[in-house]
Amino acid sequence: MDIYVLVKQVPDPEAIIKVKSDSELEIENKYFTNFFDEFAIEAGLKLKEKFGGKVTVLTVDNKKADALRRGIAMGADDAIQITDPALDGSDQFATAKALTAYLKDKAFDLILAGRQAMDDDAGIVGPAVAELLGIPHVNTIIGLEMEDPKKEAKVIREVEGGREILSCSLPALFTCQKGLNNPRIPQVMNVMKAMKAQIKKLDLATLGLSAADAGGQAAKIKVRKYLPPPKRPPVKMIKEDFPENLKILVKLLREEAKVI
Amino acid sequence: MANEIWVFAEQREGKVRKVTFELLSVGAEFSKKTGAQMVAILLGSGLQEAAKSLISFADKIYLMDDPSLASYTSDTYLTNMAPLIKEHQPSVLLGGATSTGKDLFPRLAMHLQTGYAPDCTGLAVEENGKLVAKRPIYGGKVFAEMVFSEARPQMATVRNNTFPANQNLNKSAQVIPVSAKTDLSSLKKKVLGLEKAAGMKLDITEAEIVVAAGRGIKAPENFKIIEDLADVLNASVGTTRATVDEGWRDQKDQIGKSGKNISAKLYMAFGISGAIHHILGIGTCKTVVAVDTDPNALIFNYADYGIVGDLFQIVPALTEELRKVTKE
Amino acid sequence: MDKVDVIIVGGGLAGLSCAYELADSGMTVIVLERGDFSGSKNVTGGRIYVGPIRNYLPDLWKEAPLERHVTKEFITLLGEMNSTTLELYSDRFNRQPYPSYTILRAKFDRWLADLVSEKGGFVIPQKNVNDLIKDGEKIIGVKTEDEEIGSDCVVASDGILSFLAEKAGLRKPFKPQHFALGFKEVIALDPKAIEDRFRLGENEGAAQLFIGSLTRGVMGGGFLYTNQDSLSLGVVVGIESLNLREPREEIYKFLDEFKERPEIKSLIRGGEVVEYSAHLISEGGLHIKPKIYGDGILVTGDAAGLGLNMLVTVRGMEYAMVSGVLAGRAIKRAKEKNDFSASSLAYYERLLNESFIIKEMNHFKNTLSVLENKRLFSKYPQAISNLFEKVMRVEENPKESLYKTISQGLREGFFNLEAFKDWLQFRKI
Repeated sequence: MDIYVLVKQVPDPEAIIKVKSDSELEIENKYFTNFFDEFAIEAGLKLKEKFGGKVTVLTVDNKKADALRRGIAMGADDAIQITDPALDGSDQFATAKALTAYLKDKAFDLILAGRQAMDDDAGIVGPAVAELLGIPHVNTIIGLEMEDPKKEAKVIREVEGGREILSCSLPALFTCQKGLNNPRIPQVMNVMKAMKAQIKKLDLATLGLSAADAGGQAAKIKVRKYLPPPKRPPVKMIKEDFPENLKILVKLLREEAKVI
Repeated sequence: MANEIWVFAEQREGKVRKVTFELLSVGAEFSKKTGAQMVAILLGSGLQEAAKSLISFADKIYLMDDPSLASYTSDTYLTNMAPLIKEHQPSVLLGGATSTGKDLFPRLAMHLQTGYAPDCTGLAVEENGKLVAKRPIYGGKVFAEMVFSEARPQMATVRNNTFPANQNLNKSAQVIPVSAKTDLSSLKKKVLGLEKAAGMKLDITEAEIVVAAGRGIKAPENFKIIEDLADVLNASVGTTRATVDEGWRDQKDQIGKSGKNISAKLYMAFGISGAIHHILGIGTCKTVVAVDTDPNALIFNYADYGIVGDLFQIVPALTEELRKVTKE
Repeated sequence: MDKVDVIIVGGGLAGLSCAYELADSGMTVIVLERGDFSGSKNVTGGRIYVGPIRNYLPDLWKEAPLERHVTKEFITLLGEMNSTTLELYSDRFNRQPYPSYTILRAKFDRWLADLVSEKGGFVIPQKNVNDLIKDGEKIIGVKTEDEEIGSDCVVASDGILSFLAEKAGLRKPFKPQHFALGFKEVIALDPKAIEDRFRLGENEGAAQLFIGSLTRGVMGGGFLYTNQDSLSLGVVVGIESLNLREPREEIYKFLDEFKERPEIKSLIRGGEVVEYSAHLISEGGLHIKPKIYGDGILVTGDAAGLGLNMLVTVRGMEYAMVSGVLAGRAIKRAKEKNDFSASSLAYYERLLNESFIIKEMNHFKNTLSVLENKRLFSKYPQAISNLFEKVMRVEENPKESLYKTISQGLREGFFNLEAFKDWLQFRKI
């Protein structure tokens, strides 16, 4: 099987992030592979173990390639970094175009990605790449079964109120959700291999794209302003003893907050 | 380009979901400013009742009622919606940030080569029809105001319960049936079935009231008292990562980080200390109540009302009190 | 089993310094660090004395992310409601090469780890070593949660509670009286405010020690260091001394109360607490130093008990870094002879003994027995402050002659047999 996994390096969920100004954020220097991407990498590796073949990790990033090295350390065979200064200020649709430009002439059986990146929380790139490649996609899968890698896969995805079971013809793109598998912890020797690995870098020109296609000016959405999260007024602690305290709470919820 | 605000009317089993009414309501507010026509686009099968329920909420309804559309898949819905949208070029297209919305809208936006802001917690429209979408990023640590390029429609999915749903917008929609153009032979995806989760309660992202318990519940069977409270409030039950990792509750009920972000009208947290991810997951809830034995629990910094107490004592008594009060 | 030349367990100062020494030697060197990155689990007060280290690691200091070079030293003796402070400034401290710098470990260790990687070593985070692999008595590798890696030599740099040194049979568990617990906060504060409050120039720093009522009679003290844009404020208490005290106290209460003292409050006003951390400190010195080499293994830094309380300061970082370098040198020599047996690696101990480390540890080997004296943390600081206060007070009653005031104060606090014996103790250090 020829499997490609889209990965991204994002700030650690525990990193401190502050609004510095309308247009600037201060982000603590703690970056890790996007949490959901690990489920995608693991899924790819499991399929490779079952059917043989190759797993390649891909990213679009002008700064770091550590997410790719994580992929290699877990067991991916190859890593590609798409990087170009023109990509600064571009949006997720541009990222999708860049990835598609690379993938469109590859004989892939399956493309995997995390359900969303924990920086922009958007979940756009996966479905957008599927659209551009003209392949079906299924979001937030928590189950994946395959008997014939050239034909179709059976996937389970989370929906409100339960789980939906679908069959999907291949090639396809799936975005992965927690619960799909348990991502393996890279072995020391593989981490060393990943640290030494040469990452292939490609720019927009090599992919046949121009800044007008995928650069900042092609962006369809832009951040106009950053805002800190809304602050709540200080908590009203109900200090009375039991059972008065809960009677007062009910009263407040009915009369003051008016929510019940 | 048409001065129209379109809403993707999401239905499930023939019933229009609440978020659609929320979006039509806020859309109507916007149209007061811009003079836009409100249009609902409804796809599915067996939609008589659904279409009827929308009539007072829109000026126009495009109705695609076809067996091939019975279950949502991105290819069938996109194939049918895209030509209509391209033809009319509405200014704005809104949908709920539901599993369907989040699956359809990014692909549709790429197809239409237009901008899309996912999972918004705020929307505004300027006189010239430009949409400004506010959405959380970095898990909710920061919010971003997004603006769109010239491409149309400006697309956004909006979180449940962000806007109030009016009871009636006093409109009289013109229903326009559109025949489905689904080529069954070229379908690449097929829904084989739906495993419904046990219990009939709304998903926590949709519920107006959510009650939750964390590690303080001490054992899975103790969730019964939380469920009793949920029954009396007609609420859904949520939880934290701690109990999900222990295997006591299902992941679909998890609030925060890899779980869900909720926008309930009322959220009650019992025995939840308030780890940052949980806090970010409830950030847009309107009223937050916290009960914990630890007076220094972080959750009290993010609540509107707090009680330092034992949930095992408080929750059953609270359920009783609410039963009494709702009987009146 | 996969094999590398050297496995260094622990990515703190000892481990990274050893890796740095070995990184371009042609040997495959890996550092296994259990934290998310080097420095994430390391804590110091603190301040690093670069003087002793420069000879061993000359290239580091131009680029190293250090905070401020210390030009002022303060010692404060705390009574319950008064305090006396000695302030020392010296041009010598303010001349290049600067003798010491305040330091933040998360920044510094992380930078050093990157340097090691650039030089050719492999620093692998999120790896916890569970056990050693032995062939008879010879150490031939380590076990992590799910893999085994072979080596010619293991360097145990796994810190103060090193269980690797124990597993290798080189050390017995330390006793409570050999440990202190340090608890600190990093308080963000504008650099201009720091410079104003401590009367410093740009990039200059202050180090302040507190001894007295803040530890409520328990052996220990307080510290305050100025970083570039924050203060490191904390308390250290001896573990056994803390355990013996009735009623039992939580150490964080010591720090909370310390912060409430007017002397501290005014220094940290307007600051924001951005970090809490705590760490065990090895103070046993030579009394607890284990055997530091074996067949296929060396022990460095805190794992080797190389920590020392010198009363005016606690040493650990410099010993860690230098012992790491010396271990690296011993390994290079062993590689030349292709002999990693204990007798070959014993060269490490020779190097250590010849270095300033063991010599200093000898000079100060009796610190702990001197510090066991509770009066050092209660009676004497109080007596000194009381005396000073009496000398300076002018009130309604006619002020007594200075000689009377002073001699009375000295007599009360210091001219007695007990105090004389205490004074004699000081000869030991």
